[in-house]
Amino acid sequence: MNTTVTQDMSFIHLISSASLLVQLVMLILVLISLSSWWFIFRKLFVIRNEIKKTDDFEDIFWRGVDLNALHQRIISPRYDSCSLERIFAAGFGEFNKHPDGTDLEAVMESTRRAMRATYQREMDYLESHLSFLATVGSVSPYIGLLGTVWGIMNSFRSLSSMTQATIAHVAPGIAEALIATAMGLFAAIPAVVAYNRYASRTDQLATRFESFMEEISNILQRRAAA
Amino acid sequence: MSENASRNSTHTEPKRLMAGVLALLVHVLFIAVLVFGLSWKDHPPEGMIVDIWTELPKPIQESIKAQPAPKQPEPVKQEPEPPEPIKPEPPKPEPPKPEPPKPEPQKTEPPKVVPQKAVTPPVKKPDIAMKQEQEEQKKKEQEKIKEQERLKELEKQKEIEKKKELEKQKELERQKALEKQKELEKQKEIAKQKELQLQREKELAAQRQREQEAKARQAAEAQRVAEAQRAAQQAAARNQVTNEIAKYKALILAKIKSRIVMPPDLPGNPAVEFSVTLLPGGDILDVRLARSSGHSVFDSAVERAIFLSKPLPLPPDPALFNEFRNLNIKVHYRE
Repeated sequence: MNTTVTQDMSFIHLISSASLLVQLVMLILVLISLSSWWFIFRKLFVIRNEIKKTDDFEDIFWRGVDLNALHQRIISPRYDSCSLERIFAAGFGEFNKHPDGTDLEAVMESTRRAMRATYQREMDYLESHLSFLATVGSVSPYIGLLGTVWGIMNSFRSLSSMTQATIAHVAPGIAEALIATAMGLFAAIPAVVAYNRYASRTDQLATRFESFMEEISNILQRRAAA
Repeated sequence: MSENASRNSTHTEPKRLMAGVLALLVHVLFIAVLVFGLSWKDHPPEGMIVDIWTELPKPIQESIKAQPAPKQPEPVKQEPEPPEPIKPEPPKPEPPKPEPPKPEPQKTEPPKVVPQKAVTPPVKKPDIAMKQEQEEQKKKEQEKIKEQERLKELEKQKEIEKKKELEKQKELERQKALEKQKELEKQKEIAKQKELQLQREKELAAQRQREQEAKARQAAEAQRVAEAQRAAQQAAARNQVTNEIAKYKALILAKIKSRIVMPPDLPGNPAVEFSVTLLPGGDILDVRLARSSGHSVFDSAVERAIFLSKPLPLPPDPALFNEFRNLNIKVHYRE
């Protein structure tokens, strides 16, 4: 490596001249960052879509439509249903399965169970990959730091063999090592932000689902009693 | 049925591919920012120029030396210049020289034409003789003898006239020859005049050369005078510098002396010498005892005084600091 001051400090040169482990760390971080951004955008679309459809469904439901027609529409295979619609469909289907005259308490219990099961499944779907974002947010800075520490170690070790030690000998090594930290932070910061945002959004959705479940069981109970 | 449907309903994620494309886009943007952002800061080696600044005073001296150096060759260049004008000027008179010979052959042509004219009359003479013979034959055919005689007289008269004409022609030729001679003389005179002009021109050229040489000498003298003035100025500047250095050395010594708490009752006039290493700004880096006075009380008093007068007065010009880097301070007990 040329040790004159007029060194090529371009980004590509820094990466290509880094040691193998640092390059490996950089590769891992690039993959992590890519997948984390992919999940960020996927969850963004999923949650935005879910909130919009839930708003629409609640709007339709509370306007007082025929529940049987609504159920039929939801369970038709072509219909692109949302989580809340699927919870309603599960509860309403379970409620309708019981013949008239069975114990109301037992009917309501099984209806609530069916809705609870669907709710769990839907929440699982909505919260999927959020744990990945959390992991990326907490781990990737450490991975980047590992690469940086390793790179700086190497550059100082090469410095020890020099008789005349100048900043120019250490600077390229440290610069290329610090790229690893930069990449780790680049992966971590959006992941943490996205995780916190999506977690709060899914929590909001979960409370909406739970309150809707309580309300639909009340409606169904009144309907059975009537 | 509905239970199975709800359980098996695979969640159709919207815009899954678009999410991937967006993620790639974000990374491409980030890498672009890194590549161009870092390569923009790729030209700092200009900072290497800084190394030259530590030796500021030397380039000034070099420049002063370098300035007279090119001026010495200048007079040398001017001296060879005078011969140069001589070379171009002689060739100038040369071209006019070939010109005078040219008119001479041109004017020699007319004499050639004149003899031709002179030859033609004798040619006419035989023609006239033939006619005379014919006429005589005709006269022999017995026509009027008187007429013949008259004719002969007329012929004689004609001949006389012809002779007169010939004489006139000869006179004309003579006149022409005279004119030619005069022309030749005039040409010669013109040539002489031209030669005189050439001589005058040569003289003028020589005078110009002399003038140029004189100017060159004057310029060289002026340069010498200017150099002398510069040298004097430099000397004055050096004097100023030395004055400045002496002034500040005196100031330093005065400041130190004002801080000395003199120990009382020392015998004689002991002197102590310290060599002091200074930092730019007047700070003291190191104080070493160069020669003791023999009285440690006095030595330590002076050393303390040196440290007490810590920001030592230094000239504002940083170029002079080299004179103050290592100072020798000698203090006498009694002034």
